[in-house]
Amino acid sequence: MSKHRISLKVNGRLHELEVEANKTLLRLLREDLGLTGTKCACERGDCGLCTVWLDGKPVKSCLVLAVEADGHEITTIEGLARDGKLTPVQQKFVEHGAVQCGFCTPGMIMVAEAFLRENPNPTEEEVKEALGGVLCRCTGYRQIIDAVLDAAKEMRKAST
Amino acid sequence: MIPKFDYHAPTTIDEAVELLNTLEDARVFAGGTDLFVLMRDRLVRPKNLIDLKQISELQQISFDERNGLRIGAAVTFAEILRSEVVKDRFRVLWDAASVLADPVLRNRATIGGNICNASPAADSAPALLVLDAVVEVAGERPREIPIGEFFTGVKRTALKPGEFVRAVRIPTPPPGSKGRYYKWGRTRGEDLAIVGVAIQVNGEKDVRVALSSVYKTPIRIGAVEKIFKEGGPVEEKIKRAVEAVRSNISPITDVRGSKEYRVHMAGVLTERGLRELLEVK
Amino acid sequence: MPEYSYVGKEVPRLDAVEKVTGAALYTADLKFQGLLYARLLKSPYAHAKIVRIDTSKAERLPGVHAVLTGEEIPYRFGIYMSDKYMLAYKKTRYVGEPVVAVAAESEELAEEAAELIEVEYEELPAVFDPREALKEGAPLVHEGLDEYLHAPFIFPKAGTNIANHFKLRKGDVEKGFKEADVIVENEFTQPMVQNVQMEPHVSIGQWHPNGRIDVWTSAQSPFAVRYLLSVGLGVPLHRITVRVPFLGGGFGGKAGLHWEPLVVLLSRKAGGRPVKLLMTREEEFNTAAVRQGMYARIKTGVKRDGRITAEEILYIWDSGAYADYAVNIARAAGYSCTGPYDVPNVKCDSLTVYTNHPYGTAYRGFGHVEFHWATERQMDLVAREIGMDPLEFRLKNAALPGKVTPTGEVLADDCGRVDQCLKAVAEELGWGKPREKRTENGKLQGIGIAALWKAPAMPSYTSSSAIVKLNEDGTVLLSLGLTEMGQGTETAFAQMVAQELKIPLEKVNVVRERNTDTAPYSWQTVASRGTFMDGNAVLRAVDDLKRKIKETASDLLGYPPESIAIADGYAFVAREPDKRVSLAQIATCGVLPDGRGVRGPLLGYGYYTAEGLTFLDPETGQGRPALMWTFGAQGAEVEVDPETGDLRILKVATALDLGKALNPLLVKGQIYGGVVQGLGTTVMEEFIFDEKGRLLNNNLTDYKIFRTQDIPDKFVPILIENPQRNAPYGARGIGEHPTIGIAAAVANAIYDATGVDFFDLPITRERLWKGLKGVKK
Ligand SMILES: Cc1cc2nc3c(=O)[nH]c(=O)nc-3n(C[C@H](O)[C@H](O)[C@H](O)COP(=O)(O)OP(=O)(O)OC[C@H]3O[C@@H](n4cnc5c(N)ncnc54)[C@H](O)[C@@H]3O)c2cc1C
Ligand code: FES
Ligand code: FES
Repeated sequence: MSKHRISLKVNGRLHELEVEANKTLLRLLREDLGLTGTKCACERGDCGLCTVWLDGKPVKSCLVLAVEADGHEITTIEGLARDGKLTPVQQKFVEHGAVQCGFCTPGMIMVAEAFLRENPNPTEEEVKEALGGVLCRCTGYRQIIDAVLDAAKEMRKAST
Repeated sequence: MIPKFDYHAPTTIDEAVELLNTLEDARVFAGGTDLFVLMRDRLVRPKNLIDLKQISELQQISFDERNGLRIGAAVTFAEILRSEVVKDRFRVLWDAASVLADPVLRNRATIGGNICNASPAADSAPALLVLDAVVEVAGERPREIPIGEFFTGVKRTALKPGEFVRAVRIPTPPPGSKGRYYKWGRTRGEDLAIVGVAIQVNGEKDVRVALSSVYKTPIRIGAVEKIFKEGGPVEEKIKRAVEAVRSNISPITDVRGSKEYRVHMAGVLTERGLRELLEVK
Repeated sequence: MPEYSYVGKEVPRLDAVEKVTGAALYTADLKFQGLLYARLLKSPYAHAKIVRIDTSKAERLPGVHAVLTGEEIPYRFGIYMSDKYMLAYKKTRYVGEPVVAVAAESEELAEEAAELIEVEYEELPAVFDPREALKEGAPLVHEGLDEYLHAPFIFPKAGTNIANHFKLRKGDVEKGFKEADVIVENEFTQPMVQNVQMEPHVSIGQWHPNGRIDVWTSAQSPFAVRYLLSVGLGVPLHRITVRVPFLGGGFGGKAGLHWEPLVVLLSRKAGGRPVKLLMTREEEFNTAAVRQGMYARIKTGVKRDGRITAEEILYIWDSGAYADYAVNIARAAGYSCTGPYDVPNVKCDSLTVYTNHPYGTAYRGFGHVEFHWATERQMDLVAREIGMDPLEFRLKNAALPGKVTPTGEVLADDCGRVDQCLKAVAEELGWGKPREKRTENGKLQGIGIAALWKAPAMPSYTSSSAIVKLNEDGTVLLSLGLTEMGQGTETAFAQMVAQELKIPLEKVNVVRERNTDTAPYSWQTVASRGTFMDGNAVLRAVDDLKRKIKETASDLLGYPPESIAIADGYAFVAREPDKRVSLAQIATCGVLPDGRGVRGPLLGYGYYTAEGLTFLDPETGQGRPALMWTFGAQGAEVEVDPETGDLRILKVATALDLGKALNPLLVKGQIYGGVVQGLGTTVMEEFIFDEKGRLLNNNLTDYKIFRTQDIPDKFVPILIENPQRNAPYGARGIGEHPTIGIAAAVANAIYDATGVDFFDLPITRERLWKGLKGVKK
């Protein structure tokens, strides 16, 4: 199997590594870089728990090869809070009880954050649609949706 | 895990063609959202994978009135959704993109991958069928395949070994024409289609209907076009079109739905769509 | 002085920040030196003799450290019924059952090795329908049933496929039916489904050369894992340590024991290197445990005035290949069999039956989701037969304080009120008010209601304990044996501790990892028993700590302990608050003015053992199985598109008499999540098998669970608080209850909308359309 030298930025830090062709970005992050915040619950694109950003866009990292990330910038859940300060989405997830077992939380937050940057004033339907690729078995989604709507409000306030 | 393979990332079409024709047991891929799942399930095990995403031409969407729309094979559905032209002029395709998988997956899933994977459930296929798309093929001898001839069976296309899709080209629909895609799954949330119906309408005489998930390939129903070309009251035509759809499809029964339900829903979606687009109550 | 009233407040969960930042470590996230990865070779047959296994090629593969077959590890495990082997022994009993396990230096290698193993099978006749399995001459799934160890309250029948036969006889049903004006009999079914907690089962095991065993696992009940490992492997408890890091959901599917013995045995064979087994999602469906299927037949006798006179009930549980949990599910469903009603004459048979399906386990509701589907549909069907409003009919027969349960328990005056729940839900749905059933665009709307009850299903003698430690700076550490899998109990307990000690909540922390060496014992984290049992233990531990604080303070201040109060980080003389010592000062010991130390580090211990429960009579089921009952009611408002079978859930109202909402934010979370899981069972989830017992929808593409777009337009949680005197602050468990009534409520609403009855779950779009086909629009 082919091996490849890749260099990529993860949460702002540059990494140069050698990877085998069949290693997914998810496995690279979790196994080689120790970034275990990104979760895996299906490894076939269904659950969305493995969502990270590739050049700012959310992707399901179980269906991205590590070598495909060569030269790109990756952001994971560990890269969101800066200096211990939670982002509005993270903060609202805490406040609204949008977290139970927490296993879906990183994926949900990565999708929600990216979505609100593109659509700062969403309707409830739009939020549901945006989060439609991430599964949660605990919360029934209600408090997650509320948290995202509330975070949007917070972010709009902050930007005006 | 995904089984072992060698990875190649050509930057030009020519290079990709050359790799595809020289490497043993090679496959091209774009988003990998179909291929990696199949590989993980051990349903396919290619020795060589050729990533098309480094070829910048394949990532481009372009439009001009005369030549129509050209979408590079590696353009993602998220990009398609961002295109105002697609939304305004090729709405049926935009609709299909908007219900394909989920927003995150659409950041990787490509139109080339969707048609080359050639699943009967491919959501973009019915839209391309009613829009008379043409598939541009790269290979040692580049050629074009009308979309109507592209799908040859479940997971089979008219591509020959050593060929891959470079772009799909879609002629500009006449002004005033309208189109929509109606998808039905088991649930309201993300699901593969039990039935998908694409309808493109240019006045009452030019009405085209194509479906996903009801035949071994995505299928355009020629009989519907005939019905609308002929004269007669619209209400009558809709009724006959629904019958034509139901009698020209032959879906399977699987875990997602029975043949009977698919046939029924194909008719319901067709009727609802026709009424909406023809503005008949 | 600040109030420190935390109980009843909407406090965010303690571990939320760790979870939103990705810092929380789950079992799959742990790293170990020399870790080996396990993969499984699974049976392609539902029932087959293992003729020959050739592992030689796999063993020769460099990097492979252990290859195990069933022959090498003929140990049986189980909590109620020790019927389960870790690897198929002599024969396989379901498709997906592990036959050979491999441990290698990488997952890829282990996978490769598993592919090199050859197994020769001889297919045996299989049985899939539990009703078929009950017939004379049906293939036997377990020939050695009489050799299996089981709990004393389980009644297997050797020579048959019956793993447990629970019998309940109350009053005289013959007489009851004679008194009835009308008798209504119906059948209901529910297929196998799966818990689908997001974190797949994962265990890491290490059997050290010195005989010690270490386990890290995604288990709900570390002490049960330790005990069952000990019994199954014959290793004493003090040589086994089980640790549970963060848990990504369980809903019952991680109760008891799962694959922990297998990783430990692989480790032994691999010379003591740690071995990790992480199930794939496909294995979660095919190989790991599922919720059993159910068939129910209910015959109800009723008077025209609405009084139920008798009920004869048959529940048949498809436990699949192993019945460790299903045996107790049959029992729990059996003793609650009527639902929350006062039925004078009851006969119930609840049978756990082996088949060649995947094996059953606990799943949120523990049989109650399934049987309430039958009983609460039946209530509507019976009411209709006598022309009575279904709400009125339920209220007329409601199990109110003073009434007698099927097992002969007289409900106490503080047991909770199902009638209040029913009325609250009815009000929310606009029950009895005129409504337009047909919308302008041809959709049909309707409302439906269901009542529910459930007690913790557990042996009569379980216990829990807790430890509260005072630190040198006056902060407090709470140590539990109960696990936190998302339900939020931990946070509620911290609120209790802060309030009892009158300190800020920030000063209370809960020990994160559950480690059986250091944590206080708790039987299992199941059955919605945590709030009540472990909660009582926590309160007693706090009392114990307070007593000790007062003793030390008394020594230092020279006042009797009874005169001392505790608040705000001080122990002080109640009447003279400036005579005080800080808790920080006395945490490790008190210091007298002359420098002498007195007493010692302060630690409170408390336990709670289920009180007053008894075994049930094997022939009549009479006795006391229920620590407490939580009553509730659920209502649904739905809109049906008769042309497509699309069901829109406009509203779900859930009223639970939880005694006291310790933390309404978390309670609501439990309700939303439970409702949505219950709705999954109602409209989309089911195992679909082919005729060979192969699961056709073994992934999340084909097996659907709710996504954001599927949820009800509106959730209405209604918290009713009739406190239970022996519960912490009066609070009852509610973790499972929001899932229980929803299926019947929705089906009852569908009937209201369309006039069509459903008896089988799930009511998918397609089934709904089929059901409505031919019905006049
Ligand atoms: C969770 C999930 C949900 C999905 N939901 C939907 C859905 O709702 N509707 C739907 O239609 N699909 C769905 N899919 C399938 C898939 O995402 C789409 O078909 C997608 O468009 C495939 O594009 P890709 O670029 O990822 O394909 P790839 O996986 O890269 O390729 C797919 C196949 O096409 C071949 N191929 C790719 N590009 C070319 C080319 N240019 N020329 C020749 N051959 C090529 C590959 O060799 C491979 O055989 C879903 C997939 C997942 C994982
Ligand atoms: S792990 Fe990637 S989508 Fe499930
Ligand atoms: S919080 Fe547990 S899966 Fe979402």
